[in-house]
Amino acid sequence: MTLTIGRVASVVKVSTDTLRYYEREGLIAPTSKSRGGYRLYDGDAVRRVRFIKQAQHCGFTLTEIRGLLALRADNAACCGDVRRVALEKKLQLEAKIKAMKGMSKALDRLIAACKNGTRPLDDCPILAALQKGQRQ
Amino acid sequence: MKVELFYTPGCEKCADNKDELRTVATELVPDLVWRELNVLDELDYAVEVGVITLPSIAIDGEVLFSSLPTCRQLRRELIKRLGKVV
Repeated sequence: MTLTIGRVASVVKVSTDTLRYYEREGLIAPTSKSRGGYRLYDGDAVRRVRFIKQAQHCGFTLTEIRGLLALRADNAACCGDVRRVALEKKLQLEAKIKAMKGMSKALDRLIAACKNGTRPLDDCPILAALQKGQRQ
Repeated sequence: MKVELFYTPGCEKCADNKDELRTVATELVPDLVWRELNVLDELDYAVEVGVITLPSIAIDGEVLFSSLPTCRQLRRELIKRLGKVV
């Protein structure tokens, strides 16, 4: 099966610019070029792009996805290695969620401190609290 | 002192020199609590401690190694914590 970049883009529902970007990032590569110099891909490119999209959906960056693809092609690697990568991603996401919950709670406290929204800016308790934090 | 090693089963990097590290810590620290935690079972706790890579080692609740240290590195850290001179 030989596909043009436009055909791959249409099958996997991404733009041709995205495919070119993936190529620059070393995630996919055309198998050959047509006489006119157009990129030609095989079915594996479609599978790789679907893999990339799914991995992005799980929060992996393109750099991490490159690592996953390398792991997939590594005969010495096993499922446990892939699970470790997935677990590390999960730990990173949970750490971010925890940090964001902390931010959200800090905002709750600031919002609760402002009982009267009609006061002048000089009396704004939110700005005062932020300024106090700045001095610390 | 509590030393916690966070790992995932089946991961080669996690099993590398685990036994040697435990031996180093056990010989050096008299009141040592050595725990090996499977992150699949202890995910919430791992997040609480701040583990983001595997394997990791936390000492007294603080992640100090984001990959397995050498025996020498662990020994140095433990001695520092025990307040001894290297």
